[in-house]
Amino acid sequence: MEWLNPYNIQVVTFIILNCILAISIFITLATGQLSLGHAGFMSIGAYTTSILSKNADLPMFVAIIAGALMAGLIALLIGAPTLKLHGLYLAIATLGFGEVVRVILLNMEITNGALGITGLKSLGTYIYDGMKAVGITSQSLGLSVPVIKSLSTLVFLFLLFLVVLFLTLRLNSSRLGRAFEAIRADETAARAMGIQVNYYKMLAFIIGSVLAGLCGGLFAHITTAITPTDFNYHKVVEILSFAVIGGTEVVWGALFGAVALTALPEVLRGLAEYKMIFYGAIMVLVMAVRPRGLIGSDTLQKLFRRGSKKQNEQPKGVE
Amino acid sequence: MQQLVNGLTVGSTYSLIAIGYTLIFGVLGIINMAHGQVFIFGSFVGLILVTNFDMPIAVAFLASIVVSGILGLILEFTAMRPLRKKNVPHLASLISTIGFATLLEEGMHKLFGADSRAVPDTFGSQAFQLGSVQIRVVDLIILGIAVVLMVVLHFWINKTKVGKAIRATAENTETASVLGINTNMVIVTTVVLASSLGGIAGMLIGMTYSALIPSMGMTLGFKGLAVLILGGVGSIPGAMICGLILGVIEVFTVAYGASSYRDAVAFGLIILILLIRPQGLFGRKA
Repeated sequence: MEWLNPYNIQVVTFIILNCILAISIFITLATGQLSLGHAGFMSIGAYTTSILSKNADLPMFVAIIAGALMAGLIALLIGAPTLKLHGLYLAIATLGFGEVVRVILLNMEITNGALGITGLKSLGTYIYDGMKAVGITSQSLGLSVPVIKSLSTLVFLFLLFLVVLFLTLRLNSSRLGRAFEAIRADETAARAMGIQVNYYKMLAFIIGSVLAGLCGGLFAHITTAITPTDFNYHKVVEILSFAVIGGTEVVWGALFGAVALTALPEVLRGLAEYKMIFYGAIMVLVMAVRPRGLIGSDTLQKLFRRGSKKQNEQPKGVE
Repeated sequence: MQQLVNGLTVGSTYSLIAIGYTLIFGVLGIINMAHGQVFIFGSFVGLILVTNFDMPIAVAFLASIVVSGILGLILEFTAMRPLRKKNVPHLASLISTIGFATLLEEGMHKLFGADSRAVPDTFGSQAFQLGSVQIRVVDLIILGIAVVLMVVLHFWINKTKVGKAIRATAENTETASVLGINTNMVIVTTVVLASSLGGIAGMLIGMTYSALIPSMGMTLGFKGLAVLILGGVGSIPGAMICGLILGVIEVFTVAYGASSYRDAVAFGLIILILLIRPQGLFGRKA
């Protein structure tokens, strides 16, 4: 049980958190839109959640949901004027939005400026309190308290991830998902076929932002301390690289990217220091060689054709 | 009045940066997210020649121009050209330039360290009085270089053969290549030109602030982007004028006490302009 220490568990926890983030940017990219404001939406989620749970003493889960909704609301305000324009405008407007949010957070009193908010109750403690209430203690499980706390965080996050993944897969094979796919393939053609392009683009942008806000809230209560620098431009590049390196056509690509890119610096210690250089180089390389990401819909088809054919009759989007 | 002069000085460097974005956008239809990092890298090399090897400032300018130009060339061949061939999603080039930018920025941290480096005061702190306004010689030189460059560029684009080729490629790449213009050459020229202009802007900014920081590539790049949107994407006069406007507004924001919001001004303006006039102040309606 040597490997079952809080550090290893936390690494896995962050891999899962990054997987949810990858899904959040994947959904926005699914309509061919690039949002560079995901760190901004994360920070809105994180700060809203922290302030609500620390200053207003709301229950943690209510605060996390409120944070996610807040991110969605702001996304609505940012998206409305920019989505009608060329995709580049959304990229730059959201990039700008992220910077404005960071500067505002640095200067507001309630967010405690550059020092950030600290001393938040951790998700693990919260769950463990709940477990104790129903009579499960560290003695009855035979594990130490920190391990139980981090393990319960991991389990909670994993369940949440499964829910998000399930909803995303459902979404992809629904009318909505097909509309997203059509918009990404050709916006004009999609419009001509009677798809309300702006409505669906907005929806994708808001869903992505709500998920980012949710991750922000979770992040705050996993690390128990947040500062504006946690959500700077580097974070944007990091989240973006998960999806674009892994693949933006199918959700598995984005998930693969998140797992691989989070795990690699942990496995190869020497790489950790050069993490961002590594991300940057891979981004350039992948775009040059496989601009749709390492895992595309064709990869999956090949994989499944080789395996048993009957089992995998699931739809894989258009074509 | 004094603030106005300061604002124009800072603004003229923003204009030069924004012109770099505009040129590349005009010809390639993409936004080069690595522009800021490219020219700051060049300027850092120039600065190191001055501080570590006692070279005159003119050599630093030259080095900055050359290094930025070479980096632009590498950028074109690694992150831009491979994406022009096939049926590639239009966001791919944006992403690959972001990758290149990240690579350069982190590379700079490893090579030069993350700290700021002072730019030696070559022109002293001499200043002269013009009415109630005090103008530093450095400011005058910065403003002068920037304005001269912009005028030259304007004539070069509008009057020379190369300029005509650039405009033709910007108008329609395919038609231009049918008409016998070597569009690949034009693109390379434009990217190198834009990067070298940035190299000059980077040195000028170093002189304005008396220091350079590797992370400035990002903040200055962002400001150039803001100017680009503000002036209307693809409009060179728009970039020139809006750069000045942004510089002045920023300086006044600081002067009226909201100094910590300085870096938010540029993007606040973008969000405002996208709400009121999405095509930019000088842009044409799509």
